Amino acid sequence: GVLTHLEMLEARAYEAAVKQEETEQQGEKLARLKERARELRRQRDELRAKVELQQKGQGGKEGALSDPAQPSARAVLEWKIKSLKAMLQMFYLTGISGKLTKRGVCFCVSTAYEGTYLDSYHLDLLTQPEVQIYRHSVPTFIPLEQVAKKYLQTDIRRFLSVLSDHLNAYAGRRYQADQLQEHFSDQLEGTLQRNSLCNLLVFNYHVSNQSETFLFNVRLLYGDLCCCLPTEVTVSCTPGAPACLAATAAAHSDLFRRTALHKAFRSFRRAEENVD
Amino acid sequence: MDETVAEYIRRTILKIPRDEIKTMLQKWGFLSEAQLQTINFHQIKDNISQEVVQLCEENSADIKQAAVLDIIYNHIYPNKRVWGVYQMKKTGEETEFFDLTDFKKKFKRLLRSALKNVTINFREYEDNAIWIRIAWGTPYRKPNQYKTSYVVYHSQTPYAFISASVLKSNLPLLCQALVVASSYHDIREMELRSHSLNSLKDIVFKRYSQNFQTYCPRPLQERNVAPESADSRIIQENRNEKERIQRLNQEVFGDGPQPKLEFAQYKLETMFKSDPKMEVLDRKEPFRCLVKFSSPHLLESLKSLAPAGMADAPLSPLLTCIPQKARNYFKIREKKGFFPGSFVSP
Repeated sequence: GVLTHLEMLEARAYEAAVKQEETEQQGEKLARLKERARELRRQRDELRAKVELQQKGQGGKEGALSDPAQPSARAVLEWKIKSLKAMLQMFYLTGISGKLTKRGVCFCVSTAYEGTYLDSYHLDLLTQPEVQIYRHSVPTFIPLEQVAKKYLQTDIRRFLSVLSDHLNAYAGRRYQADQLQEHFSDQLEGTLQRNSLCNLLVFNYHVSNQSETFLFNVRLLYGDLCCCLPTEVTVSCTPGAPACLAATAAAHSDLFRRTALHKAFRSFRRAEENVD
Repeated sequence: MDETVAEYIRRTILKIPRDEIKTMLQKWGFLSEAQLQTINFHQIKDNISQEVVQLCEENSADIKQAAVLDIIYNHIYPNKRVWGVYQMKKTGEETEFFDLTDFKKKFKRLLRSALKNVTINFREYEDNAIWIRIAWGTPYRKPNQYKTSYVVYHSQTPYAFISASVLKSNLPLLCQALVVASSYHDIREMELRSHSLNSLKDIVFKRYSQNFQTYCPRPLQERNVAPESADSRIIQENRNEKERIQRLNQEVFGDGPQPKLEFAQYKLETMFKSDPKMEVLDRKEPFRCLVKFSSPHLLESLKSLAPAGMADAPLSPLLTCIPQKARNYFKIREKKGFFPGSFVSP
């Protein structure tokens, strides 16, 4: 009766309200999309204008020199690359360079000996939760763990400096030994006994004295791992050699203590040539 | 000359490829150049070896010289043996000077004090590698020259590469001799094995290519500029993905060649995670399982997995950590604590 009729009216009113809300929402959506379309068209027109300008600009300047007061973007980029390369080269030349990584720093220690650039070694360090070595390419006979235990946590600059000293000294010692074997093998007798760190060298070499050749035995001990010169030198001649050779042995011993190995041998060779 | 020595030399020659025999004999230096000229190296190996043995007879070769020939053969063909890596520890911090003569003396003394019948030979090479050949005997038998152990040691490093023979019982003695001679205190076997001795050296001496981020001014490699096809209608759909994979691969594996390993073995002692309704394991016991990856060149094949589309990049760290952790045998146990997952034993 009356109640069902009222219910029906209520339902109809509700439906009408819902429909009205829907159309309102659709109207809003339509307005938004129209606005977006307008914005996109505007952007497109802007870009089109830019492209046309670019093409006109290039076409007009065919063959003609570009205005020096306004260097082209390409020239600027080239200059930037050049100066960046120069800076990187400079860092490389200082021997220690670093680069920040996601989790810490990566250092590169470059070695050199008297003007010749030798190998580079890398260290990947983590900085959280404390400074630690994640991975590296340092040879196993370099006492990396010892140096790290002393300085890594407290003074990273000192750590790098000490490590660089070790690596450079090792590279220098190895270079001297290699030079000796490569260029002065004729003066050597037998094999050059060396070890991984190149801190103990034992070999025999010829010494001529008034048209007679004698054999000297040398034992070079490099007590300081951060040094390229030996701390202990023992030069001995074969038993039965003339007494005057003892003075020569002493002189050679002194020379080995003061000069690089290959330079010492170069001076021997020059001395012999002068005598002849 | 001893018959056993003659036979040993004969058999060693037979192992060498025919084209290499002359060079190896020259390296050996026991037969003079004049003697070598008399040998016809184009005949069958059987005959070559007979001629060599005859000449050795003339020069009265003994087991020491024969052993040197064996070392030379193994140095040129080290990949015929399986090598394991051992790590030594020392507690002191003194600078080591490593006297070779001292090392050899101590090594021989310790071995000979425990075992009278043993043949020990040394040979040093340019890269500071000391090769030691040991033939084992018993208190009542002469050393068996066919069952030899080899040790390769680089002075002043804590690593030794050992290719033990079948007689594993002599290994503890060998390790002890090594530790004493090189002035270390302790030695343990690493979980790293391969046929390629040089690759093992590359891994522990950190000579393999690790991709360090540096500013080192190398010429930038033009990787992204692939040769553009002449036809502009052809475009690479997945270029971004390909470049991402390439970049990740390069970060993990570096640019250079990978060390050569033949397998990686993972021993799983983890719980089987299944639907509780399946009731596979009533008792809460770890599901024991062994996963072994084999390949003629395992790391190179892992490196090519992602670019070939066979695996997602980045690869699981369990696979990529092999050179850095210097191991190819792993034990994976359940991680105890709050986080599920696996725990790799040290």
